[in-house]
Amino acid sequence: MDHFIVLTVLLPLRTCYTTYSQQESAVFPVTYLNVSKDLALQRLLVEWDVVKSAHDAKLAMSFEIQVSQTDDTNKTVWTEFHNVTLDKLGKPFHWRWDSDLPLECVSHTVRIRSKAETSKIWSQWSLWETVLDLDTSNSSGPQIFPNEKILEEGSDTTFCCIGRKDQIIKEFSVLPAVRAFIHMNGRLGFLTVEGVTHHKAPHIHVYCKEPCNEDQCLAHSIFLVGRAPDTPKDFSCQTQDMRIVTCTWSQGGDTYLYEKYSPKYTLSDKLSQKMILCTPSCSKQCSCSWDIGQQRIWNVTVTVENPLGKKTAVDAFNVNHRIYPTAPFHVWEECTETEITLHWNYQNNGIELLCQTEILHPHGKVELHNSSDMHSPHRSITVGGLQPYTEYTARVRCGAAKHFWRWSEWSEAQTIRTEEATPSGKLDMWREITPVLGGRNVTLFWKKAAGFRANGRIISYEVTWEKIEDGFKPESISFSSVYNSTRIFIDNHSYRISIMAKNNVNFSLPSVLIISKATDNSTEELKEEQVNGTDDGIFISWEPRCIYDSYIIDWCNFPKLQPCDLQWKRFGPNISSAVIKSAVFVPGERYNFHIYGSLANRASLLEKKTGYLKELPPLHDPIVDKIELTFNTVTLSWDSYLTNESQSGFVKGYHIYVSPVQENCTLKGSKKHILSGDSELCKYTIENPEEKRYTVEHLMSNTKYKLVVKAYTGGGETPILNFLYVDTPYNSTVLYFLFLIVIVPTLVAAMCHWKKKWVKECCCPAIPSPHKSKVLSFKEFKISSEKVLKISDCIPDMLAMDNKAEAQKLHSWSQLSPTPTEDKTDGHDSSWIYPEKNVERGFAPIPTPQTHNWFENFAYFSHLEVESDPYQIPERLEASKPELAVVLYQPHCYIDIFNEDAASTDRETAGRKSSLRYISQTDLHCLGKRL
Amino acid sequence: MRCHGRPWAVLAAVTKGLLILWAVPGQEGWPLKAPTVQQTQALVKLMAEDAQELFTFYEKDHHLAIHNICRTNEPPQWLQGPVKGPCVLQRLWQPMVHMDQALQDIIRHQRDLSPPGAEILRRLNNTHRNVRGLLNNLAGLFPALSPRPSHRPPPSPAGPTSIFKQKLQGCRILWSYASFMARSSAQLEARGGRRCRERRRSQRGSRIPARP
Repeated sequence: MDHFIVLTVLLPLRTCYTTYSQQESAVFPVTYLNVSKDLALQRLLVEWDVVKSAHDAKLAMSFEIQVSQTDDTNKTVWTEFHNVTLDKLGKPFHWRWDSDLPLECVSHTVRIRSKAETSKIWSQWSLWETVLDLDTSNSSGPQIFPNEKILEEGSDTTFCCIGRKDQIIKEFSVLPAVRAFIHMNGRLGFLTVEGVTHHKAPHIHVYCKEPCNEDQCLAHSIFLVGRAPDTPKDFSCQTQDMRIVTCTWSQGGDTYLYEKYSPKYTLSDKLSQKMILCTPSCSKQCSCSWDIGQQRIWNVTVTVENPLGKKTAVDAFNVNHRIYPTAPFHVWEECTETEITLHWNYQNNGIELLCQTEILHPHGKVELHNSSDMHSPHRSITVGGLQPYTEYTARVRCGAAKHFWRWSEWSEAQTIRTEEATPSGKLDMWREITPVLGGRNVTLFWKKAAGFRANGRIISYEVTWEKIEDGFKPESISFSSVYNSTRIFIDNHSYRISIMAKNNVNFSLPSVLIISKATDNSTEELKEEQVNGTDDGIFISWEPRCIYDSYIIDWCNFPKLQPCDLQWKRFGPNISSAVIKSAVFVPGERYNFHIYGSLANRASLLEKKTGYLKELPPLHDPIVDKIELTFNTVTLSWDSYLTNESQSGFVKGYHIYVSPVQENCTLKGSKKHILSGDSELCKYTIENPEEKRYTVEHLMSNTKYKLVVKAYTGGGETPILNFLYVDTPYNSTVLYFLFLIVIVPTLVAAMCHWKKKWVKECCCPAIPSPHKSKVLSFKEFKISSEKVLKISDCIPDMLAMDNKAEAQKLHSWSQLSPTPTEDKTDGHDSSWIYPEKNVERGFAPIPTPQTHNWFENFAYFSHLEVESDPYQIPERLEASKPELAVVLYQPHCYIDIFNEDAASTDRETAGRKSSLRYISQTDLHCLGKRL
Repeated sequence: MRCHGRPWAVLAAVTKGLLILWAVPGQEGWPLKAPTVQQTQALVKLMAEDAQELFTFYEKDHHLAIHNICRTNEPPQWLQGPVKGPCVLQRLWQPMVHMDQALQDIIRHQRDLSPPGAEILRRLNNTHRNVRGLLNNLAGLFPALSPRPSHRPPPSPAGPTSIFKQKLQGCRILWSYASFMARSSAQLEARGGRRCRERRRSQRGSRIPARP
């Protein structure tokens, strides 16, 4: 029993295992394979099957399919896995493949192997099944494939050309010239065009040629380039009368295919499975209409098709929900001062309608009013709350009240004007008062205030004025509606002036103005303040005063004209600033503003303002009317220059530009200003517009300067175009100095040249040669190179012996006077040593009334070899070196050279008597050297 | 009309248009009036020029200017010349009747290939109008030639279905037509158109008043 139970359990397990093992290793090879071709579509059609048991087992199977092209390469060009779940019906399997090469030109072979999903083993491959290319053995000429067709824009296409038997393809080309890859191999040629566009080639003309020249050696094909149609857009159907349904849709983009190739539209109803008999017409939109009979539910499909593709769009609807009523007609109106009643008719198809009225206000505001249906073909609606005597535009449209689909077209628009009513609000009045003899001229201006409504056509304005004091009869005058100002004369009393507008119905409320009694208080004393312009207008502010109930600003739109177009604007009591705008304000024009405070219709001038919308540079440069020139300054004056309202901005000052004509300017105290041509000017600034005189200093004499005076405003200044030129004169001091240092020496030199003999004799007398002197005609005794006179060589006339005391005395005497003097006591002149330094210090020889010649010959001291400063005075020498005195005290040989007897010749004598002081230059040199 | 932006081209086109208006009486704005021989001769001359221009444009527009495939030596029978002997104008009748039909076919084919308003369509329609104008003139000059149902050419057989063949056929017809019109125009210039009428008048007696 136990064994039986065990077997009972094990047996099914065994069965399951066996079945599973079998399935894991089961193979179901392809038993049938057929390959055919659809040449029109250039498509391979593959059909195959497996054993019936596989179908019976409802296996899930995978098939591996390989496609090979048997051209010169014979390679596998495609591998694909195809999964399918088998069923007991046992139908064969199908697979299709689009070849990129024309099937006529290349043979294609296919093989398949299979595998059950539960199995791990693939079956054997089936045998290759081949579809052959075209047999051209009987062709009469080369042939191009694929056959003529329409190419989709942007696609890649390969064409082939097969030559006749034993012929080769010599030429294979495409027109127009597009990018193409051409491969030719004997009688077979391939040509591939990539991404061809209609724009570049609407038609592609492919041709191939064998080497011969006959007509039959050529083949041509034309391929049109286009696009598949777009899906119809906005496809929608509706009815106006529940009898005819019209479907509309948009076409989409251009397909570039025309007439017989153009997209064709068809409509069909899915519910009735029938084509809808309607003729589509397309212009901006396509539409198609048909009689729906009694059918209310529709599922309409629009299909668009051309050779490149097919697209569809669907609209399912209930006709009752697609009611698009016709536009209301016969619209007419009735109106009062504030109401319009609109009436209309419409086509009554038993449809309950909801209608909508549109009221267009004059200023563009649109009001919509709905009204529900009353099952009557005659409908009306009343719209209230309108303005009297105002033109409105009204129109109406309707839609289905139940299952609203869309509004009908609008009815024809009606233009309606409401009736007139009494003017509402008050006019805005202002005045200009001009004192005249015996009273005042008051010019009144009026305009429609913001709260004023004429409510009709203004016929006239009525102005009334009366003295405020009791008992005076008011005066009044009426003006046509075309006037907006008038002038009245009043005396110096207070007056009450009022104005009313009148239309066909009634007068408006009066607008009142009180003119105060004339007083001597002049308002001219109010100082005028400058105000600034902004992007929006001219900004005005004033000091708020709590006593006034309003403020008024008035100004002239055209201040230079008469009348000046007086304008005014009112402000509330809490406002103390405003931007005054006017379309006629222009930059560079000065506008004057008066600010008034008003209390109980009585206005008082509070402030005066003046300003520009935008300041501009001055229109004219200052004209320099006076120039004062010195050798280093120039003073400019432009007193006639005006700084008043004639200017296009507030003149803030002046700039003076100066520069020498030939060079850049570097004047002290100026700023640098660079012109457009990179030349530099000196710039001086005057910041007071009333200061109209300026002196430019530090100029160079005898130089040409260019100058210009520019006025500047808040808008700047005008560009520098013209200069004023001045020439500074010569500096006379310099001239005088020049005269002194050039002319006088020149004259002196000329004089010297003219009297050179005299000068020579005076300054440079002839030097007597000591060697020629008999004095020196002694036997030579030389110390070094110098001759020394021995006492024994000469016969002295007189011999004097000096002792030290006498020598000192003599020396002391020489110290007393820096100027050497002559010893006249004994009638003998002596020779002296003069340190050259003293000469340089300017010790001029003191002229003496008696002319003497002195002869200094330092040769007599040649033995005195003392090394010292040549400029050191002898006294110092003596002081510092007392022992030298001993040397100096050596006996000297004094020669009285003025003794005529001592002179060797008469000439020498004459030379001595010429009273010239002679110092040998050579000896001077020696002197300096030795001392 | 393409002006190419050149004033002389515009001027030539306007002149040609005015000549056609003069040469084809009964056109818009003109009173219906029998044509003269001079008008018809002038029209033939203009049509010869127009035919040559049309062929050149067609050949270039369709990229058929290769291997001279359009310039056939075997024109359709009805365009085979030469137009010799007397009565040159009269002999134009039959070719123009055929040409009228051929142009309709060409225009129909071209409509499948070109967008509405394409230049080729404009030119073909213009040539078609001229052919019809010439037929009207000839009918006016020679009432005996007036179209009779029996003399109308049979409807053209179904043409080639291949787009290339349709294009080529049209191109060859236009080439033959241009050659034919050139020959006819030359003949008319050489011989003048009066002889036939004068001879016929002398033989049969004039039924049509002579025109200057």
